[in-house]
Amino acid sequence: MSLKNILEDWSKYRKGREEGGFHEYEHMWGMAIDLDKCTGCNACSVACYAENNLAFVGKERMGKGQGMHWLRLERYWDEPDLGESTVSDYQYHGASFVPTMCQQCNAATCEPVCPVAATYHTPDGLNAQVYNRCIGSRYCSNNCPYRLRYFNFYSYYEEAWPAPLNMQLNPDLSVRDKGVMEKCTFCIQRIRTGKDAASREGRQVRDGDIQTACAQSCPTKAISFGDLLKMYDPSSKVADSKTAGLWRKHQVQLGKTKQNKQTADLRGYRILEGLNTDPCVMYLERVRDV
Amino acid sequence: MKKYHMLGLFSNFDEAFTAISDIRHYKVPGVSVDDVTLISPIEHPEIEEVLGERTSHVPKFTLMGALFGSTAGFIFLAAAQANFTVQPQGGKPVIAIPSNIVLSYEMLIMAAVLCTVTGFLLGARLLRRRKSLYSENVGVDQVGIEMEVEEKYLEPLKELFREHKVLEIREEVAK
Amino acid sequence: MPTRDIDEDIKWAQINKDVLRSMENPRMGYWIAIAVSLTLLSFAVGAEIYQYNVGMGPSNLNWPHMWDLYIATFIFWIGMSHSGTLLSAILHIIQADWRKPIYRFAEAMTTFTLMTAGLFPVIHLGRLWNMYWVLPYFSDRGIWPNFRSPLVWDAFAISTYLTSSALFLFIGMIPDLSICRDNTRGWRKKLYTVLSLGWRGDDRQWRNFRKTYMLMACFLIPLAVSVHSIVSADFAMSIMPGWHVTTFPPYFVAGALYSGCAAIITLFILLRYFFRFEQYMTMPILDKTCKLTFAIAMVWTYLNLIEFSSIWYGHDEVGKELLLAKFNGPYSPYFWAMLFLGSVMPFTLAFEKIRNNIPALFVISLLLNVGMWLERWMIVTPTLSLSYHPFAFDVMWPSWVQWFIVLGSFGWFGLLFLVFVKIVPSVSMYEVKEMIFHRRHLANKDIASVMHRRATDDGSMATETPGN
Repeated sequence: MSLKNILEDWSKYRKGREEGGFHEYEHMWGMAIDLDKCTGCNACSVACYAENNLAFVGKERMGKGQGMHWLRLERYWDEPDLGESTVSDYQYHGASFVPTMCQQCNAATCEPVCPVAATYHTPDGLNAQVYNRCIGSRYCSNNCPYRLRYFNFYSYYEEAWPAPLNMQLNPDLSVRDKGVMEKCTFCIQRIRTGKDAASREGRQVRDGDIQTACAQSCPTKAISFGDLLKMYDPSSKVADSKTAGLWRKHQVQLGKTKQNKQTADLRGYRILEGLNTDPCVMYLERVRDV
Repeated sequence: MKKYHMLGLFSNFDEAFTAISDIRHYKVPGVSVDDVTLISPIEHPEIEEVLGERTSHVPKFTLMGALFGSTAGFIFLAAAQANFTVQPQGGKPVIAIPSNIVLSYEMLIMAAVLCTVTGFLLGARLLRRRKSLYSENVGVDQVGIEMEVEEKYLEPLKELFREHKVLEIREEVAK
Repeated sequence: MPTRDIDEDIKWAQINKDVLRSMENPRMGYWIAIAVSLTLLSFAVGAEIYQYNVGMGPSNLNWPHMWDLYIATFIFWIGMSHSGTLLSAILHIIQADWRKPIYRFAEAMTTFTLMTAGLFPVIHLGRLWNMYWVLPYFSDRGIWPNFRSPLVWDAFAISTYLTSSALFLFIGMIPDLSICRDNTRGWRKKLYTVLSLGWRGDDRQWRNFRKTYMLMACFLIPLAVSVHSIVSADFAMSIMPGWHVTTFPPYFVAGALYSGCAAIITLFILLRYFFRFEQYMTMPILDKTCKLTFAIAMVWTYLNLIEFSSIWYGHDEVGKELLLAKFNGPYSPYFWAMLFLGSVMPFTLAFEKIRNNIPALFVISLLLNVGMWLERWMIVTPTLSLSYHPFAFDVMWPSWVQWFIVLGSFGWFGLLFLVFVKIVPSVSMYEVKEMIFHRRHLANKDIASVMHRRATDDGSMATETPGN
């Protein structure tokens, strides 16, 4: 709490995102998800449950909408644009699957509305949720346009893992008690492990060193996880990634609300980017046989 | 000479008004209207016509409070934000002017109200032991004129009061 | 039908007597009211204990309905507080003296509704034992609340409003408390001696009092507007369709004044009946209050129409779909009820026959408030059921836990108000005397001419004939 702080850093703290903001980013973790390859098998969702100590809430509570699926497979049945008159059970005609997880928006709408500063933007480009600080006002979840934040309505851990199932819990992260918000963290525990290993060996993190649980378990390799910082700041020293390559190939840029593309074949898009959330997840639209 | 406190009770405001007007015009030589205090069940701003201009310092307190509240509020908020830069951003700066203005406005009003109340308590000389010369009828409908005078003016003043149909006169020695 | 707001010939001693009589030892009816309030409150306490132990789940809150009746009722209670300020402060500044017999209980209503509203941000938190983290205090880890969040603005604004309202109420009561001190014995006398702070009624005290009251009134008006605008910012500063609406601040303030005025009519009728205040809380004053309510209802209706039309004419597809869902969707019965009770019902107040019919007014005022409560619910829930993301469309109904807590808040308010009317005069004695004094003198020119001579006039008053 010092006057020196205030006077020296006033202009630095006044910068908005467009001017580079306050952060000097070390990484900018992002994803590219190919919806054409996605079969809707839900392996990614199950892997997320296993990796992140997500609780089974049971059929009744799931029916009431009190589930904890950080990564959810959204199924959309009908596509009126295709002119189909019948809906089908198979992805070949009609059904679409969209694996949705926290988009780690660079201009996250959830961040400024938390009354106790329990969610913030890390220098890794992630939107972090601090479980210890959360008092459960749930404003962040209401303000997320993707509705990707989940709340612990009960102390799920009391019933979710009766012995010996509690042996499956991942010791790298906590089990959350009732009253806190939680969401996808891009497996921050794996990111932390990867970064620690790289710094122990005195090198930069290489592309492929870190894999999120969902990317690792996808049988068709539809989910690609990597560092996008080279796109955001070309002068940075981090390694470029395949994911960033996909972003560039499909001409999707960070910091824009509407992408300019040269051809319509370029399938990449970001969900609800017109709301100026600047998400770090790009989806590649399903190739249609129309 | 001993000083006396004297309280004359009148049945309504008009009689008290005329009595004070007489005092103002030196009907009792040597007694100045500055020694007069009006005690009434309701407020009477019109008494200042005869009682003379008397000021109240409460607005100064209010101004001081408002200025302090707004500036100290803003500085406090900016300092707290600068100290706690891990604050969530959402693309917004750490020291966000719109939020700070809203909060400084609230702190302006809070400080102004608290300082006004303080000024009131000090200016009205409340929170002190009440003077013993008090009549409960003032709470009903009678109006009192209270004076602190030397003994030699007691009788002339009592005469003046009786001319204006005083209901009751109380006196005591000033301590 | 009497046309004068108050009978100017009332003896001042009579005013004291009538008002002090209302504070005597209560009879059976009062204890029944206390029992009812306590019962309602116990429902809420029981439900809250259950919720505290088990989590927020039993209230049927779910993803995506993360907010529900708690927030709606919070806004309802804060809204109800505004017309106390309207009556006390705004009507004071414009010197509308018909407010004088009724502003005391209205201002008390403001303070108590704020005390009730302040419970809800705590109740709706998932980890409410940590709620003090929202307040800015020096911590050795240098952690502060997020001042950018509208919820923190709420904390500041509501605490400022509660402090200011409570102080305004208390300061305004001091002359009356001195009358109570003079007319009681025993523990009551000790209580009022302390509370009246040594008030004697001398001109120095009245002068400072006048200035203080006017200054506080001047601050309370922008405070009231800013508080409810900040509460509306909880919604307006978010990104959700149906919430991110620029007309929310004035809309909320208008709705607040509306529900508060309706509550004033309700309490007016109750106090007038139970304490036999017919001479002070007269029918012409009730008439004026009803007209004020009607006017505010029309403002509220207009702001509703503005919101609907700007969504309709804009190209915001999500907003349009939400608006149509409010009219046609799962919550539409409540939405239509809100429109009927909020916009159609107040037209009954335009008829003089109804404004003179006390039982009808009682029912109407309660229904108007039901309509305003529904309005708050219809702001919170339809948006959450139909936000931007189709996968998150959901319909949810609150459970018994939420209803018990909402009803219990009425019990809490009732309890506070019932205790108030027995401890403190609910009609302001000195202001009623002022009202009578000024009206009498305005009417009687003889006295007026004697009153308003200049101090520089030549003396010799005793011989002057009135009227010269």
